Amino acid sequence: MSNREALLRALSAHALDIRRNTWRALRAAGAGHMGGSLSAADLLAALYFHYLRLRPAEPDWPERDRFVLSKGHANPALGAALAQAGFVDDGFLDTFYAYESLFGMHPDIKVPGVEMCTGALGHGLSVALGMALGSRVQGKDWRTVAMLGDGELQEGSNWEAAMAAAHLAPLRLTAIVDYNKVQQSGHVSEMLGLEPLADKWRAFGWRVSECDGHDMAEIVDALDALPVAPDRPSLLIAHTVKGKGASFAEDTHLWHNNAVSEEVYEKAMAELEGPA
Amino acid sequence: MSAPEQGNGAAPAWAKAAANQSRLAFGLAVTELARRDERVVAVSADTLDLIGLRGFIEHAPAHVIDVGIAEQNAMGVAAGLATTGLRPFVCGYAPFITARSMEQVRNEVAYADQRVVIGAAASGVSLAVSGGTHHALEDLALMRSFPNMTVVVPADAHEAYNATLATDEIEGPVYLRLGGRVPEPAVTPVDAPFSVGRATRLAEGADVTVVACGALVAPALDAAAELAKQGIGARVLNMSTIKPLDEDAILAAAEETRGIVTAEEHHLTGGLGGAVAELLAVRRPAPMRMVGMPDEFACVGPTDRIRARYGMSAKHIAAACLELMG
Repeated sequence: MSNREALLRALSAHALDIRRNTWRALRAAGAGHMGGSLSAADLLAALYFHYLRLRPAEPDWPERDRFVLSKGHANPALGAALAQAGFVDDGFLDTFYAYESLFGMHPDIKVPGVEMCTGALGHGLSVALGMALGSRVQGKDWRTVAMLGDGELQEGSNWEAAMAAAHLAPLRLTAIVDYNKVQQSGHVSEMLGLEPLADKWRAFGWRVSECDGHDMAEIVDALDALPVAPDRPSLLIAHTVKGKGASFAEDTHLWHNNAVSEEVYEKAMAELEGPA
Repeated sequence: MSAPEQGNGAAPAWAKAAANQSRLAFGLAVTELARRDERVVAVSADTLDLIGLRGFIEHAPAHVIDVGIAEQNAMGVAAGLATTGLRPFVCGYAPFITARSMEQVRNEVAYADQRVVIGAAASGVSLAVSGGTHHALEDLALMRSFPNMTVVVPADAHEAYNATLATDEIEGPVYLRLGGRVPEPAVTPVDAPFSVGRATRLAEGADVTVVACGALVAPALDAAAELAKQGIGARVLNMSTIKPLDEDAILAAAEETRGIVTAEEHHLTGGLGGAVAELLAVRRPAPMRMVGMPDEFACVGPTDRIRARYGMSAKHIAAACLELMG
């Protein structure tokens, strides 16, 4: 097996674990945002176990790459990645929504590895821009990545940040859109459409690439090719499926944020068998 | 009212450059801090001259980031910078850098407890003829309501400079309320070190206490001088920190004088008067009157006429004192 095959296989295994651990957290809480967590699982696996330069044992390592989950409602998947990477104990996953837990519906900066309190939509890109500027001002070379939801691009503050980032470039800044095409009340195209999405970002001065957000080879290639061009911030549109990996929850707003019974949990986990 | 002593020597260069404008004094103090500490950065929302950041740009151009007319982004960027160990000062027009970016202030600055200093220029009714869209008369209520936030209202350019330097000792978020392009008479010494959370007594008196902040400190002193002519001793406290409130100074005033009149260029709900009333109601009920903007939007006009029309002048403060004393 080549190194690349081994890498892709390992990352796919991490992605599978993120999905399993997402359901585990949701089961502990009895509810949660499964749709946007499952769509981001492959991207998070590639980020946390391949692209981002991090030291889980030293979460505040000053030279670390910064990752901001702007679509903070995907916190179950982020928590899974943080636990699998060793930022937090495995038992953290069982504290989702628990009284006084740091693992609530949205990321809390007090959790090791979490860079900002997010989840109020449309905030993360500005924060990431600040982090990228912080790198440049201090002459550092860390990279900053923000993951944005598609629905949250309806918030105007994103476009303030997008305009400023292109104007203030060059910066080591990448935004990834988890383009799962579904938001809380329906399909994005029916609620408030984003297309032509790539052209919008290009018009704002970003360099854009696209990938299949569930094809690990495509994800790795897209991340390894960053920056798309060195002069401007990079925007990676990852085409994904809401609820990916749980057939009953795929591509529907009905599984954006739901109760999770034991039956639902068992049904979901049955579809997440590991490789032979 | 006479200007306070300027010390033994001539006024420092910054005081001349500030020209009695608290907004410029803030920018000059940020520039001074930047000279001392390379972690200092400024984020501006098209307010480089309003705040007086040209000197900072000359000193360290890469450390002054103007994001254009986009206050939400400015606040998020400032918070992001703070997470990297830098010490950002984010500046804007008070009506916009507070209300427009309030969710960013709440989440990324206050909730995430980031060391961001917000410099809000042109507060109150200083943008007089701009009208109600540009008056900031609710900012203290908003900022005071956030946990972790320190809220400072300098009374003049001197205090703005010294308070800005003093923010260096604060590790959490700070809101600094600054004036606009209207006269700000000097009421504090040019070289007085600023103590966060400590009121200063600007006039002695045993009959009644005026607790004032910002633009209404000078009128409060004028009112005290007028009352003195009538044989009434009015203590004047410059309550330049609204949060944390100097509870000891207020409780002592409630104990030692017959009551308290608050004075602020802010709505009567939720600002200095509200903070003092909250304290006294629970700890030591005392007669109170509140001078400030009533529950309406101000008309267009010169700042001094707006202040007079809506009851925010020396005359109104003196009248409130007399009413309180019966």
